[in-house]
Amino acid sequence: MTLLTDREAELFLYGEALLLDEGRYDAWVELFTPDAIFWMPAWKSESEQTSDPDSELSLIYYHGRSNLEDRIKRIRSGMSVASKVRLRVMHALSNVMVIARAPGTATISSCFIVNLVDVRAGRTHAFFGRYEHELVHGESGWRISRKVIRLLNDVVPTLLDIYSI
Amino acid sequence: MSAYRMSELIDDRPADGVFRINRALFSDPELFALEQHYIFEGGWVFIGMASQALQPNDFFTGLIGRVPIIVSRSEDGVLNGFINACPHKGARIAQQLSGNARLHVCPYHSWTFDSSGANRNIKWRSGGCYGAGFDREDHDLARIPRFGEYRGFLFASLNPDVPSLDDYLGEARKLLDLVADQSSEGVELVPGAVRFTYAANWKMQLENCSDQYHFTSTHPSYIRILEARAREQKNDVVQSTLGGSDFWKEDAEGPTGGTFSFEHGHVLNWGLMAVTPALPLYERADEIAERIGTARRNWMFNMRNLTIFPNLQIAENASSQLRVIRPIAHNLTEMQTWCIAPRGESAEARRTRIRQYEDFFNPTGMATPDDTVVYEECQMGMARQERPWLQGHARGLTASVEGGNAYSEMIGLNPQRSVLGQAQTCDESLFHSYYRAWATRMQDGLA
Repeated sequence: MTLLTDREAELFLYGEALLLDEGRYDAWVELFTPDAIFWMPAWKSESEQTSDPDSELSLIYYHGRSNLEDRIKRIRSGMSVASKVRLRVMHALSNVMVIARAPGTATISSCFIVNLVDVRAGRTHAFFGRYEHELVHGESGWRISRKVIRLLNDVVPTLLDIYSI
Repeated sequence: MSAYRMSELIDDRPADGVFRINRALFSDPELFALEQHYIFEGGWVFIGMASQALQPNDFFTGLIGRVPIIVSRSEDGVLNGFINACPHKGARIAQQLSGNARLHVCPYHSWTFDSSGANRNIKWRSGGCYGAGFDREDHDLARIPRFGEYRGFLFASLNPDVPSLDDYLGEARKLLDLVADQSSEGVELVPGAVRFTYAANWKMQLENCSDQYHFTSTHPSYIRILEARAREQKNDVVQSTLGGSDFWKEDAEGPTGGTFSFEHGHVLNWGLMAVTPALPLYERADEIAERIGTARRNWMFNMRNLTIFPNLQIAENASSQLRVIRPIAHNLTEMQTWCIAPRGESAEARRTRIRQYEDFFNPTGMATPDDTVVYEECQMGMARQERPWLQGHARGLTASVEGGNAYSEMIGLNPQRSVLGQAQTCDESLFHSYYRAWATRMQDGLA
């Protein structure tokens, strides 16, 4: 079985970030396994995040890629004013570390800053935090089985969509 | 004092079939400053839930208008509200959002207060060469002049000259009962608070919660997804309570819901929904009916958006949300939001409730961003212009009647006015209640 190298881990994350930056949602969603978890916990105090999505609130919690496909449908529907003018986004990743590695699986920790220009509203802001990616290797290469987005600045200015983090 | 006369801001002439609001209410910074003083710092506002400080010495902090407050449960279990500022130099004595502390020590000069607000130590007092005037002053934490609880909901007023809390809430208490009675143990906030801001006036949120008219126009992308999910019945996506109900559909027949308005600016808009398994509450439908009667149980399953003027909204539609409106500027508002849920519900019901909540209510979900972006679009159009009057408070005028109707009678509710709506009525006249309460509180600040 395949062992993920450090360099492959970096390139995988950078590749995912580029797909989000460029709004190539079909290719992006293909990076996830059909039963993938996509999870952005909320904060329950100044220093503690929610940890059990079934009994505590998350900002986003999806179990299953089809939820992400629904989000993409909404973005493209032409029926959502929040999606009408897409924000310009740039994902900058750093501190990429493979923190667990076994044949066919890997867990990667990284830091992200997403700089956003909300052209409609004429303002610029940023979301930042940490990612945890769990990858599995299958017929079509490495896929994301679980992605956790730990957003540090969680007071959301007006909207945050799946391409904003 | 503002240069405006009230009649220039609110054109309220029921006999002529006129109710209009001047855009200045949304765009004038001077009026906003008056609102902070006369509305948020001038009368009853919601400040939190008793469940946020359950044990002795538990506390949580917040703001009333611009004034920092602390709600603290004393050693002997009594909840009190104080100004969160040291009498000495004004430093906040508690910096955390919540916690447990028998004593609060001011971080600046160590003046110390207990959980009942009493001053327990002024550092080096005897060596301080204080004059007689200082000794005559009260060194305890200042109490918030009026503080009260109704069924776990906490309210306070910085202005002592206000009606009693029971009088203030009035008939709307029965609607808070429909929240509190969902469990014999009461309700709780699900861990995890979500905050967001939008660049528009706070009254955009105030109105939108009660605005049935926007749902099919602002949220078609979300509605489409719900419809597709209902068709496909996939297991790994969230099914919504809204998918199986008709009250918001343009071709529904007969009464679909309506609005109630109350004294002091409280309003409810509601939609008929059946007692169905789509709601997490269904698991205890029989128990609730036995405890409080079938009529009130059935009302709990209706879609209900309740506003307790000026800053509390409880929305029970796609899930159950408690939200607090915090105005920051005439064109900036912060929303503090929680999932509110009956204590002791099953793990499965809680999970469903949370999933439905995230999808619909979160600023990271599929509906709220369409609201907040629209608020900002409205705010742009609130700029001063030749035609100052908005046309958004006129629907339902001829359907509005004094008192209640058959649906309010079911639960012994006595609203000031009501509208029984067909699918396309989408009453806007309930907003009048907001602006009449606004006018009452703002009267002293206007010319």
